[in-house]
Amino acid sequence: MTTTLTAPDTVLANTIRRGAGVNAYKCYQCKRCTAGCPVAGFAGLHPAQIVRAVQLGDLASIMADRFIWLCTGCQTCSTRCPQEIDVAGIMDELRMLAFEHDLVRKDAPFAGILKYNADSFKRWGRMYELELLARDKVMRPSTMTDDLLLGAKMIAKGKIGFLPSTGGDRAQMKRMVETAERIERQRRAGSAAPAGASSAPSDAGGVS
Amino acid sequence: MTALAYYPGCSLHSTATEMDESFKATCEALGLELREIPGWECCGNTAAHSMNRLLAAALPANELAKVKDDMKLDAVAVPCAACFSRFTTATYEVAEDERLAADVAEVVGRPYTGGVTVWNMVDVYHDGVGVDVLEAKVTRPFGGLKVACYYGCLLTRPPKVTLAEDPEYPTHMDAIVAALGCEPTEWGYKTDCCGASLALCEQDVVVALTGKILQNALDCGAEAIVAACPLCQVNLDTRQGDIAKADPSWQRLPVLYLSQLVGRAVGIDAARLGLKKHMVDVAAVMG
Repeated sequence: MTTTLTAPDTVLANTIRRGAGVNAYKCYQCKRCTAGCPVAGFAGLHPAQIVRAVQLGDLASIMADRFIWLCTGCQTCSTRCPQEIDVAGIMDELRMLAFEHDLVRKDAPFAGILKYNADSFKRWGRMYELELLARDKVMRPSTMTDDLLLGAKMIAKGKIGFLPSTGGDRAQMKRMVETAERIERQRRAGSAAPAGASSAPSDAGGVS
Repeated sequence: MTALAYYPGCSLHSTATEMDESFKATCEALGLELREIPGWECCGNTAAHSMNRLLAAALPANELAKVKDDMKLDAVAVPCAACFSRFTTATYEVAEDERLAADVAEVVGRPYTGGVTVWNMVDVYHDGVGVDVLEAKVTRPFGGLKVACYYGCLLTRPPKVTLAEDPEYPTHMDAIVAALGCEPTEWGYKTDCCGASLALCEQDVVVALTGKILQNALDCGAEAIVAACPLCQVNLDTRQGDIAKADPSWQRLPVLYLSQLVGRAVGIDAARLGLKKHMVDVAAVMG
């Protein structure tokens, strides 16, 4: 039996280097990122394994796991990395790739929260929390009763307003969003899609 | 009176109005004039930097350009730690990356390349007012209340952006509460993440993370936690109901804003400090 050694697929790592300015190939797997990660125990993969998968061009394994949708962006990994790799920046870029190539898992409610969040400030200039909460509940009806009592208490204490804040410069927000989205689209159109970006991961859509 | 630009951010106008009110009241009492940025918009929060890197830098740069060019000020107070992180990250990125700075200028409609110092709430009291000046203004010292200063993630991390001197075990908030007559707690979870960004969607994770922080504060003798971030405060305060459900013997720990502690110590009327907004009653420690 012969074994064929192939060079790792570098497209994913190069996409991340272009987007986030981070070179994943500097990682030597000391795993300090994983040791300090508050959510490493809640997903199948941990940060050092995600960085390894980036080195190998294995986007499918990353997208098949929930880790990037549990990362809180706490920056502990980026702060402690001896190679000064912005690991949290890699997670940002992987979430962008997931949105861009339609690879968001069905059991990743955080992706929905991020989207409603962005829609909210784009539309109103500022966050409109009640609308965001309502959209999340409508999209995930099984969670309708979660935190219902807490939400009611917060409304009673005036911590969640009924109406959107109207003081923001909504015209300037609209201009900025349109321009930023146009420039980002142009930049990304010039890049090759990483392997695995064309089809959904095999177990995406698993039960939550 | 020193004038500072003021960026409250969305949370201080919704879930954390008591942080906004108490911060403004303390600045007034301490001789700082806050000038709110006209027509300020959302900083983009976690959503922008997970979806569009350019927009994430442009939104804070737009506010910083207003401070510098329209308001003619050289410092802005950004008490929300999450907004502070976006403002300092944008400042770092436009200084480090010329191409990004050019794109940001196109999005904003004018360039911003630096010149405005960004202060979080701890910085305002520690550097803007000064610990000695603050101590001299204290009329109602706390008499040794044991408080655990919770810095969370974004006041100090990543240090290349926040310029924090000791991101693993910061002490500048401890110095402030000591000046107010509190006894700062030495504890292990000062800069651990409370998971606030997952608060709406991953309740099990959030209850586990907040539980560990609160338990460690109790184990180290704290009678209250003090926070300088609206997301951390709400998360640590509101999740104690869930923790108590699983553990009926749970001893509830009040979670205060730094601005409320400062306000009480310098003699501001309790009605302006929003002490009834908390889920865990704070009367015992703030009376």
